[in-house]
Amino acid sequence: MKELKPRDRFIRALRHEKVDRVPRLFRMKREAKEKIARIFGITESETGLGHQPQLELRMGNDAIIYQIGINSEFSHHPIEIGETWVSPFDVSYGKSGLEGRSEEEHKQFMKTQEYWGPAKVVPENFPSAHPISSMEDLKNYTWPDPADPRLLDPIKSLCEEYQDDYFIMVDLSSTLIEAAYAHIVGTQKFFLFTFDQPELINGVLDGLMEYYTELGKNVVDLGVDMIRVGDDVGAQQSMMLSPEMWRELAKPRFEYMFQEYKKKNADLFIKFHSCGDYSPIIPDIIELGADLSGLMQPTGGNKDQKGIKKKYGEDIAFIGGLDVQNLLPRGSVEEVRAGVLNVMKNLGTGGGYVFSPAHYILADVAIQNVWAMYEAVNDYGVYGKYPLD
Amino acid sequence: MAIPELKIPDGWEGRAPGGWDWQPLWEAVEKGHHDFTSEFVQNSIDKDIDPRTILDDGLFPGFNLQGDRFSEQLIFIPEMLITARAMKAGLALIRPLLAAKAEKPLGNFVIGTVLGDMHDIGQSIVTIMLENAGFKITNLGTDVHPDKFIEAAREEKADLIGFSALLSTTVYYQKVTIEEITKAGVRDKMKILIGGAPTTQEWADEIGADGWGKDAIAAVKLAQALIQEKREAWA
Repeated sequence: MKELKPRDRFIRALRHEKVDRVPRLFRMKREAKEKIARIFGITESETGLGHQPQLELRMGNDAIIYQIGINSEFSHHPIEIGETWVSPFDVSYGKSGLEGRSEEEHKQFMKTQEYWGPAKVVPENFPSAHPISSMEDLKNYTWPDPADPRLLDPIKSLCEEYQDDYFIMVDLSSTLIEAAYAHIVGTQKFFLFTFDQPELINGVLDGLMEYYTELGKNVVDLGVDMIRVGDDVGAQQSMMLSPEMWRELAKPRFEYMFQEYKKKNADLFIKFHSCGDYSPIIPDIIELGADLSGLMQPTGGNKDQKGIKKKYGEDIAFIGGLDVQNLLPRGSVEEVRAGVLNVMKNLGTGGGYVFSPAHYILADVAIQNVWAMYEAVNDYGVYGKYPLD
Repeated sequence: MAIPELKIPDGWEGRAPGGWDWQPLWEAVEKGHHDFTSEFVQNSIDKDIDPRTILDDGLFPGFNLQGDRFSEQLIFIPEMLITARAMKAGLALIRPLLAAKAEKPLGNFVIGTVLGDMHDIGQSIVTIMLENAGFKITNLGTDVHPDKFIEAAREEKADLIGFSALLSTTVYYQKVTIEEITKAGVRDKMKILIGGAPTTQEWADEIGADGWGKDAIAAVKLAQALIQEKREAWA
């Protein structure tokens, strides 16, 4: 098959049509991206709201993914250890630790950033206080402006610059349940309130739904190809909440959001993302009309990739599936290659698949493993060649 | 998959006043009705039922049922949390009475999320479960430096110590913390448990932990087994 334009390759894969090779989507956190960019001789490696896609495109990404919303506000924001930063959602964030880290340890960390070795510990931004824990708080809460040009203008530029050749995906995570528990309410309170104060939970979820509906509609107006909602409801062994509770709290709200987006553009593609095991609700995600789902974290309940592909592969395209919890950071080069081969066999066979690690590449991944993955995707991700012949 | 059932304690009638019925309490704990649980437990205390009996015959059946269901993925975090809260409410009334009768906790357990990691939902569920199972818990919270673990272990004369980590980038500090504990010369005075999403039995073996719990229920069972094993005495 002749070589396709990345954009066409991605769209054809979403439609389960024949493609030359498996489209791909690598994503990296800041520390990892800085290191990997250096190998490719690329100096533009900004992440988050300032995202520069040059490295990802050089690695063969067929789509550009740009994130706005509650996650993008905090996760790339520079926060000093000990500092509290308040986001536009009025959520407070701090830096996970290393407060007690010795100078020697700090030097070790900085070294891993200078050279190719894996970083041992990477400081992370983390929510430290949540704005809503009562009906009173909810009443007084103001959602941010969903027409904020700070969020929308960069998307416009990306579309202008890249959309002829590449597929443009805008990520609105965390969108609903995750946004509520991790950011707006706090995890333990959120889950207790589902019993104690259902009206508060419904109020928060409605607020998020309305905000992301408006924000998403504005994004669709810019002509993007796909809206990605990211809502982590999977834990390592099972879902965090029961599928029934998800169907009550999340599903109708996503249904409304997706309908509103599609009213703006009937051809819009939609992706649903969750970390962990969300296999019990894959049929619901199909029913909602999502075109793509991932990231198929293989170490939890989504272990049976072949089975899931067989069962649902006709109805939805999948993305992801390469283990980032153990294999990528701790496996050998040979194991990483074998892992990619395995994922291609399980999910790539028959099309309807986009290769991706099951999450961001983090700084704990040794460069040789990134390279091994990259080469293995080049080797094993071609249709008409082993293992996709 | 076996469907978990309520295990009614053998011979409970002999340990309760005539006409007594624990059924409402079993159900209250199962359904997470913490106010009713408190009232019922207080009423049982007022009726002079032995606190140990209230705990074993009254509170544990509903709690264990939900624990088993959680393990089998029939219920999830919200249901387990409200049951744990009800159990805690009942236990709060009973614990002082047990202490007055010189009933010792099962063991001292120091727990925390390792340095660099702020995740605490799994760790707090494990904490509540261990407390409910009768351990005395010192929870150091998140982002805990190895030195803090060692200091708390010394202070509490810990029998068991547990490290949680959710990120592949922070599990490394489980290893470092064990190394530091070894360097401090207190490794053999306690049993070390680890847990958290990216962890495995192989990782636990590799870093020299004494056990790995895949979920909160497994952690409690593991703690109950490890507390029986020999350790060096604290000075």
